[in-house]
Amino acid sequence: MDIGIIAVNALTLACIYGMLAIGISITWSSLGLVNLAYGFMFAFAGYGAWQINAWCSAAHLALPPVATLAIGVLCGALAGLLVCALAFIPIHDKPNFTMRGMVATIAIDLIGTQGLLWYFGPRAKSLPEIFGYWQIEYGGIVLTANTAGAIGSSILLLGAVLLWMKSSRRGLEIRAMMMNPHAASLVGIGVRRTGLYVMALTGGLAGLAAVLLSQTYYVSPFAGFTPLIKGVSIALCGGLGSVAGAVIAAVILGINEAVTAATIGGQYVLITQFALIIAIIVVRPRGIAGILDRAREA
Amino acid sequence: MADGVQEILRVTSLSAGYGALRILHDLDLTVLAGERLGIVGLNGHGKSTLFLAIAGLTGWQRGSILLNGHEVGGTRSQGPGRYTHRVVRRGLALMPQGDEIFHGLTVEEHLDSGAFTPRAWRERKPRKARILEIFPPLAKLMAVPVGRLSGGERRMVCLGRGLMADASLFLVDEPSLGLAPKIGRSVMQALMNIELGGAAMVIAEQNVSLLEGRVDRIIGMHVGKLKGEASVSLSGAARAQG
Repeated sequence: MDIGIIAVNALTLACIYGMLAIGISITWSSLGLVNLAYGFMFAFAGYGAWQINAWCSAAHLALPPVATLAIGVLCGALAGLLVCALAFIPIHDKPNFTMRGMVATIAIDLIGTQGLLWYFGPRAKSLPEIFGYWQIEYGGIVLTANTAGAIGSSILLLGAVLLWMKSSRRGLEIRAMMMNPHAASLVGIGVRRTGLYVMALTGGLAGLAAVLLSQTYYVSPFAGFTPLIKGVSIALCGGLGSVAGAVIAAVILGINEAVTAATIGGQYVLITQFALIIAIIVVRPRGIAGILDRAREA
Repeated sequence: MADGVQEILRVTSLSAGYGALRILHDLDLTVLAGERLGIVGLNGHGKSTLFLAIAGLTGWQRGSILLNGHEVGGTRSQGPGRYTHRVVRRGLALMPQGDEIFHGLTVEEHLDSGAFTPRAWRERKPRKARILEIFPPLAKLMAVPVGRLSGGERRMVCLGRGLMADASLFLVDEPSLGLAPKIGRSVMQALMNIELGGAAMVIAEQNVSLLEGRVDRIIGMHVGKLKGEASVSLSGAARAQG
């Protein structure tokens, strides 16, 4: 068992799942929406990147590899806006929105993934190599281009998003909505417009995760299902609404997944993952955020 | 708009409530520019609901609400809060009961969040300095998350946030509620010291003695209706005699 490989795998998985979990966590706490259409947003971004690549190569245009990443992020943001327009804006102020929103997003997920299956067919697509074929070796740890690129680009995008949320006015609006939506409307924050920002942002994160994962796996209509499950469970484990909690949970579960895959086999990952999540929730019902919180609520 | 005095708020036959419960019954209220108005009444008689209805936050409502001449009321059967941000941009600052705060934001971020209009956002530094003059204890606490403040400090943050906006109508709901009497009095004093200019302030309060002699008018509220109005010159004169 090679500790270097496990560490690198754990970090890669933590980055990718972290982006999904943070998106789900932010959506839940600011909009009150459990976004179960994440699988669709994920697959939509992957297919969007593939389709535009196909069009460009048909027109004999050479896309730089970074453009694929950017297209994935933009397609994810577009899918986020679509989900917002269908499942948030029409029903967010109706009674029992939490349940309705969940049902609406599941419906979008099912219809959307079936639509992708119908349009693109069941054959998995592969995206072009984004990061090339180099590798770095340091002290026995080998970083291939894919893992280095995945870790680097996700940390970069996440860092940019978190910095934006910390320093900009829109970010202040989103954080205010996450803490107290009622008071947010009292200071003049428009719930719907903020909803559009949040969904575009989380969609962009899902899009990057989709493109990064497609470097190892393929783009297929149902490729988003496992990331959805893992994203939701990591967000829960971190404490819904806490970005820092989601990051820590993503690291813990990334380590768990890499260790499980290396010791008892990849097919048991979901079992150990849920056992770990249940253990954490039993000890800390509010998730990891319950340990981190500096301020008492309400 | 008679006599050249501008009406900030004109509420006509406003009814509002939650579900089957009707709390306000065909209520009329006019607030003029530059005036400080007190609304007194017992718990559960609709003071807070009146404020929430002006902000569009009740379960349902009907009746006209003119804020600076713009209709912000109308009939609405559901969707509390859907249009609140528009009312706020028309010049409403509601400082609600029970401190609606963002527990994880620092005091400074909190004050920033109150400055929503573009002009207020550009001028937020001088405005924050002005708030610190009104509530000096906040100066030391600017970097502290609001969730760690005491009740009185939270109330100051909440009022300060409302004062950051370009508001023409300040609705202050029970500023002394839940505070020690001394702190409650100092919060009230700070509210009285604020220069209103062309704006107006309505304060709902159960403790009449905190308002007496300091506001321009006092209106009583009873079971969802406004009753009995006393101008302060009158109550002040009564006190001078007695």
